[in-house]
Amino acid sequence: MTIADLWDQRISAFLLSLSQFLATTSTESFLAELLHELRNDKTNDQLKTLLVSVLLEHPTILCPSASVGEETALELLSVFSHTPQKSIVLKCNVMLAITNVIICTSCLNTHTKTAEDWLDLLFQMIQDINDYRCGLSQQPIRATACDCLREMETCSPGLLSQKLEALYLLKQQETTVLHQSYCLLYTLGLKNAIRILTNQKDVTDLEFKSILGGNEGFAWKSNQLELTSLPINMLVQVPRLTQGLDCKELKSIMSLLLEESYLLMPISQSALLRELVEVVAMVPGLSRTLFKSQLLRLFGTADVSLMHATLFMKDTFTDSLFTTEDENFLLKRLVGMAQHPLLRITEKLFYMECILHFPENRPISSSGEESLPVLVTPRLAAFLHPTVFNDSATMLCRLNLLCLVHLEANEGEADKGIGFLFDHIMALLKIVDNDGSREVVVTSLRALFIFLMHFSGMEELSEKLIDKLCDMYSRHSRLAPNLIGLADRIQEHPRPVWSVKLLRGLQKRIMEMPPLQLTIHNLSWHLKVLKRVAKEGQITQRNTIYLLLNVLINSNLCERGNWQVGNAVLAVYRNLLDHPSIDQVFIELADLLQYISIQYDDTDIKDHARIYYTLLTNLSWEKLTGVLAKRLDGGRAKERSHSAIMAESEEIASNLTVHKTHVLQLIKAQEKAAQSSSDSVEATGEVRNWLEVYQGQLQTPGFGSEVTLRYNLTHAKETDPLFDKVFTICLHFEPKDSNYAKVTDIHVPCVFRDRKSPEVKVKLKPFQPRMFTTQDGRSWHSRLPDVSVSFPEIFLPLPLPPNSSRECREQVFERIWEATASGNSDKSAISLFCFKPEDKSLADLIKTHFQGYLITDQQSERSWKVLLFLPPKCHILLKITQAEDAAQVSIATDNRELLPFVNSYLQNITDN
Amino acid sequence: MPNPWLELSTWPFQRTASYKLLLTELGLVDADKPYVEVRDDCARQHRSPAVELRLDGPGGRTLWPLLTFTQGALILACLPLVEAPPEPRPPLPSLASVSQGLALLSGLQDFLCGPGGKPEPDVLASRLAALPSVLLQVCPLGRPLDTPPPAGSVPAAVAPSPGGAQKQPAWKAGVHRGRVVVSVALTEKVRSMQYGKSSQQDIWDVYGMVMCKCEVEGVLPNVSVTLTLPPNGSPLQDILVHPCVTSLDASILTACSVDENDCSAFSGPYKFPFSPPLELFRLCSYTSQVPMPPILGSYQLKAEENHLKANVVLKLHESVKNSFEYYEAHIPFFNQNLMGSVEVKVSSGQLEVSKEKSLLVWVLGQKFPKSREAALEGTVHFSGTVAGPTDPLCTGLTAYIKLYFRVADAVFRYCRVDQHSVQVYSSAKPRIVTTRELVSSEYYIWNSTGDAPVSLKI
Repeated sequence: MTIADLWDQRISAFLLSLSQFLATTSTESFLAELLHELRNDKTNDQLKTLLVSVLLEHPTILCPSASVGEETALELLSVFSHTPQKSIVLKCNVMLAITNVIICTSCLNTHTKTAEDWLDLLFQMIQDINDYRCGLSQQPIRATACDCLREMETCSPGLLSQKLEALYLLKQQETTVLHQSYCLLYTLGLKNAIRILTNQKDVTDLEFKSILGGNEGFAWKSNQLELTSLPINMLVQVPRLTQGLDCKELKSIMSLLLEESYLLMPISQSALLRELVEVVAMVPGLSRTLFKSQLLRLFGTADVSLMHATLFMKDTFTDSLFTTEDENFLLKRLVGMAQHPLLRITEKLFYMECILHFPENRPISSSGEESLPVLVTPRLAAFLHPTVFNDSATMLCRLNLLCLVHLEANEGEADKGIGFLFDHIMALLKIVDNDGSREVVVTSLRALFIFLMHFSGMEELSEKLIDKLCDMYSRHSRLAPNLIGLADRIQEHPRPVWSVKLLRGLQKRIMEMPPLQLTIHNLSWHLKVLKRVAKEGQITQRNTIYLLLNVLINSNLCERGNWQVGNAVLAVYRNLLDHPSIDQVFIELADLLQYISIQYDDTDIKDHARIYYTLLTNLSWEKLTGVLAKRLDGGRAKERSHSAIMAESEEIASNLTVHKTHVLQLIKAQEKAAQSSSDSVEATGEVRNWLEVYQGQLQTPGFGSEVTLRYNLTHAKETDPLFDKVFTICLHFEPKDSNYAKVTDIHVPCVFRDRKSPEVKVKLKPFQPRMFTTQDGRSWHSRLPDVSVSFPEIFLPLPLPPNSSRECREQVFERIWEATASGNSDKSAISLFCFKPEDKSLADLIKTHFQGYLITDQQSERSWKVLLFLPPKCHILLKITQAEDAAQVSIATDNRELLPFVNSYLQNITDN
Repeated sequence: MPNPWLELSTWPFQRTASYKLLLTELGLVDADKPYVEVRDDCARQHRSPAVELRLDGPGGRTLWPLLTFTQGALILACLPLVEAPPEPRPPLPSLASVSQGLALLSGLQDFLCGPGGKPEPDVLASRLAALPSVLLQVCPLGRPLDTPPPAGSVPAAVAPSPGGAQKQPAWKAGVHRGRVVVSVALTEKVRSMQYGKSSQQDIWDVYGMVMCKCEVEGVLPNVSVTLTLPPNGSPLQDILVHPCVTSLDASILTACSVDENDCSAFSGPYKFPFSPPLELFRLCSYTSQVPMPPILGSYQLKAEENHLKANVVLKLHESVKNSFEYYEAHIPFFNQNLMGSVEVKVSSGQLEVSKEKSLLVWVLGQKFPKSREAALEGTVHFSGTVAGPTDPLCTGLTAYIKLYFRVADAVFRYCRVDQHSVQVYSSAKPRIVTTRELVSSEYYIWNSTGDAPVSLKI
C-alpha cells in the first residue's frame, strides 16, 4: 500500500466518523502528521491537495484554539512559500486553507501577527495587475488572492475600508478576466465602508470623501459591524447616511460599475447588483434611477440569479424605481416564466415562490407570509392551472397558488375557478382509483389536502370528495394509512368536521362490505381505520363492535391466534374503552373482551383482553379514561410503564411487533458445552458387572435425557442505546421439528451491555419469540437469531461415574457392542466407514474429535474405541483401526436411524 | 443505490443521516412501501424547490433550504447560506443564495451530463473526478462566482488574452483566432392537445430557441441576430435572452403569453445585439400562439365485442413544408392484453406492430400525399392472454395518438432567420450558417369517443 493510499484511508476515516477517528488518535498528532507530510518534498501535489482539503473543510476541529490556528497558519504559510511556482492548484488550495484557518480560529478578529502578515501578502499578490510580473500562468493565484480577501472582508466587514482608492485603481487597471474578482472585492469593500459610516452621526463631506480616497492600512477595529451585517432586506430599517452629502464622485463610480457589470458572470453580476442596490439604499444622495439603464436587460434575462437580483431591487426601491406598469409587467413576466417550456422545473418552482412573495409597491400585508399580490387575478393565474400532466411539485405548487387566487376572487369568478380545481382533484382521484403508483397516491392526497385547507367550507364539494374517497377505499383498502393521515392532518386545522365525516363514511363502508372482502390482509387495514374511527367521540361505535363480534365469532381468527391481528383488534378496543358513548355498548364490549380472553389462541392477546375486561367492568368511565389518558411523551416512568400494559397506541403497537433487528443473541459459552446433567452414580471399589449397573441407570426415570447447551445471552452487535439495559427477559423456545420435547421458558432478570453477560442453559433448538422490558418500562418483543444445534453437540460421554476404571468402561463398551452386533434388536445396526487419513495423522484426528469419548486408546496398536452417548438412551460405538493404506471405522449403534448422521459426520471430519 | 452524490465538499455525505433522509424524501428508498409517514404525510408540501430535512424527526433540527436536482441516478444538491435569523423562517425569495444555488446546480448538471443529458458511465466518472478542481474555480470557499463550463464546450482556436486596453469579459476565457464563422440555429417545437370535441377546446402552442456559436475575433465583438415575422404573423412572446445580450428594445419584451388583452401591434423585427461568448449558447427563446396547429388530427376508437375499431385522420396544414425528416404516429394500447391480429389499413406510409405487441407505429415517411391527408382504419384484436402495459390515465376508451416529426429547414411560423439577419461587425468577412427546424413535442391527439384528461393549458 502506498503512502497515498494510507492517507486516503485515514482521511476517509476522519471524514466518516470524527469521534471514532479521534478515539484512536488525537487531533494534535493528526494535525502534526498532516503538516509533516505537507512539508515533505517527495509527496506529490495530488496527495498534498487532499491533505489540505481536510484543513479547508474542518479548520475548527484540527485547530481548536486560536494559538493552534496561528501556528497552523504559519506552517501553511511556509508550505506555501516552499511550493514550486508550477504547482498552481496546490498553491491555490493552500491559500484558501490559510484563509479559512485564520478566519475560523478568530486569528483575524483578534488581529494576530500571522493574520496581518497574510493580509499583507495577499494584498501584495493582487498588485500584479494584468500579470505583468508573474505571467499568465500565475493568474489563478491572483484570482484566489482576491477570493481570500473578499472572504476576509465578508467575515470582518470594514477591513478594507481604508484601502478603497488602491482597490479602485487596481480594478480600473485590470483588464484580464480577473477584472471580475477585483470588481467584486472593491464593491464589497465600498458597501461595508458606507455601512460603517451609517452608524456615525453627522457625517461630513470630508469624512465621506475620505472613504473613497482611502489608501492606508487595514482597518482592524471595525468589528462592530459584525452583528448588523445582514442584507438590507432582512433589516427592519435600512441604515442611511445623512442627507445632503456630495455624492458626485460616488455616483460616477457607481455608474461605471453598473456599466461594466455586463462583463461579469451572471452569478457574480447578481452579487454585484445586490451590493450596489444596498449602497444606493444607504446613500440618500444617490438616485435610484441609476439602475434604469440596466432594467430592460434584466427584465429580459433568462438567468435565474439575475432575475432574482432584479426582484431584490424591486423589493428595495419599490415605486421609487418601478412604476405601476413596470410592476405589472414584471409580474406577468414571472407568471410567464413560471410556465415557460424551456426553463427547468426547479427554476419554475422558484418563480412561483417569487409570485407568492412578490414585492408589491403597495403591499396590503407585510407579514412575509404567502399572500397573493393583488395584481394576480384569476385570469392571469389561469395560465398556471394544474394539470394531470404536471410533475408532482409543479402541480401542487400551481394548485396552491390557484386556491389562493380563488379564495380572494369575487364570487362568480371564484365559483367557476373552484369548479375547475375540483374537477382537477377528481381527475387525480380517478387516476388513484385506476391503481396509480405510490407517488400518484401521495401527490393526489396532498392536492386534496391543499384544496380542503382552502375550501372545506364548501359543503357540496366536500361531501362529493368524501363519497369519492370512501368509494375508493372500498376498492383499495391499502389506502387506509393515507386516508387516516389525511383525516389527522385536516383535524389539526380550523375545520375539523370534514375529518369526522370522512371517518364516519369509511366506517359505514367497512360495515357494508361482504364478509368475503374482510380477508386477513384487508382486515388489518380495516382494523386500522376502525381504530382511528373509535377515537371520534361524535361517531357511534355500535356498528364497529358488531362487526368485530361477527368477524371473531364467524371466522377462524381466534384459532389462528395471529398476534398481530389480535393486537390490531385490541387496538380498536383500547380506543373504544375511551369512547364517551361506551355505556351504550357496554355489554357487547364486555362480551367481546371476554370472548377474546378465553378463545384467542395467543397468551399475550388473552392477557391484554383480560386486563381490558377487568378495567371495563370494574372502573367507572371517568376513572377508566383517567387511567387510559396516558401521555406517551409525559415523561414519568410510572406512566410509561402503565402505557406499556395499557395503551395500544400506534407507537406501542408498532414497537410490539416483531422487530427485524436483533437485540439479543445467544453466543455459545466458551467451555465444553456437553455434559451430563444426571447425578453421578457413586463409585464403589467393587468389581461388578458394569453393564448391569449401567443398564440399571438407564431405567432411572429422567436419566440422561437432557443435553444442556450453555450460551451467553449478549447484545447483538449494533443495537439502539435504548436496549443497553434490558430487564425481565423471557426466552421462549419452540423446537423446529418434533425430535425434541418442548423446552420450558427461561427467565433472565436482566442483561446490561456493560456487564458480564448471563449464562443461559438451553435445551436444543431455541427459535421462537421472546419478551423483555427496557429501562423505560416498555415491553418489547423480538426474535432471536436462529441457533442451530449440530449433531456432535448432543454427544455425551458414557455416563458412568467419573472415577470408574478403564476396565469397567471397556467392559460396558464390549457388552454393548456385542448386543448391537448380534442383531437381536431390530433397531440396532452395524456399519463400516473407511477413509484415507491424509495430512493429519489419525491420532490427531481422534484427539480433536473424540477426546472426551475415548474408551481405549491403544496408539501402539493403532486402534481406538469410542463411545458416544446420545440422550436419552442411544449409543454409537466406534472401533477405529489403522490399516495399511486406510483407516477403518466400524460402527455399531442401537438406533439405526442415527447411521446416516454418523456417516455424514465422519465424512465431514475426515474431509480436508 | 449507485447515486454518485455530488459532494460540494469532501464531506462524506452519503454515510450521514441527512443523506438517508434525502433519499427517503425523494422516494428513492423504501419505494416499495406504500406509506412512510415522514415521507408521505399529506401535510408535507412538496411544492417548493427547496427540500426540508428533519434530522431528529418532527420538531427536531432541520436542514433547510436544500436544493436538489435529480437526473437519472444523479442527485445534485446544495445548501444555500441563510443570512437571516432562522425563525420565523424567511421566505425563499428573500435569500440571495437560493437563485445562486439554483444557477450553480444547473451549471453543474450541464457540466456533468453534457448536452445529451445522458453521459456514458466512464465519461461521467471522469467529469466527477474533475469536479473538485472545477468547484475550486467556480465556488471557492463555498461562494458561487460562476457556473462550470458545459461539458464538451471547449472551443477550438482560442488564444489566452493578456491584459489589453479593453476589459476582457469574465465569461470569455480568451479570444478567437482564425476564420470568422457564425452559426445560428432556430429550432421550433410545437405542442398540442387535440380532443376532437366541441365541449373541449383543442390547444397548441409553439416555442422556439435560437442557438448560436460565434467564432469571431476580438475581445468584445459586436454581433446581432434579427428575427423577422411574415405580415400578420403572431408576435413572439415570453422572450428570454442570454446575459450576453447587450441591450433590448422595450417593445420586444412586451408580448407575454399570459396577457390575454395583448393588443400590442409589435410584430418584429426582433433584434438581439450581443457580444458572443466562445461556446455554443442559447441566444434567446420565445413562445408563440399560432392560429392553427401544423397537423390536425382526429382519432376515434370504439369497442366492438372483443376488439377495438380505430379510425385516424391526419391533415397537414398548408403552411408547413411537406417534407419530413421523420414522421411517425404512435398508437399505444394500455390496460389490455397483448395484441393479437391487427387488420388495419393506411392510406399512406406503413404500419408496424411493435415487438411488445402493445403499440402500433404508423410510419408516414417523408411526405404526405398530395391531398395533405392520411388515414388509418381497421380493427385490433387483443386475443393474447398476457397483460400488456398498464396506465392509470388511459383506462376504458381514454386513449391517444402521439405524433413524432421533424421538418428540417422550415419553421412553422415563418419566423425567419437567414444570412441577412445576422450582422457581424468585424474586419474579416464572416461565414454565416443558419439552420431552422420544426420538431414535435408532446403532440397528442385524444380519442374523441372517450374521456380525455382536461388540460386548460399545456
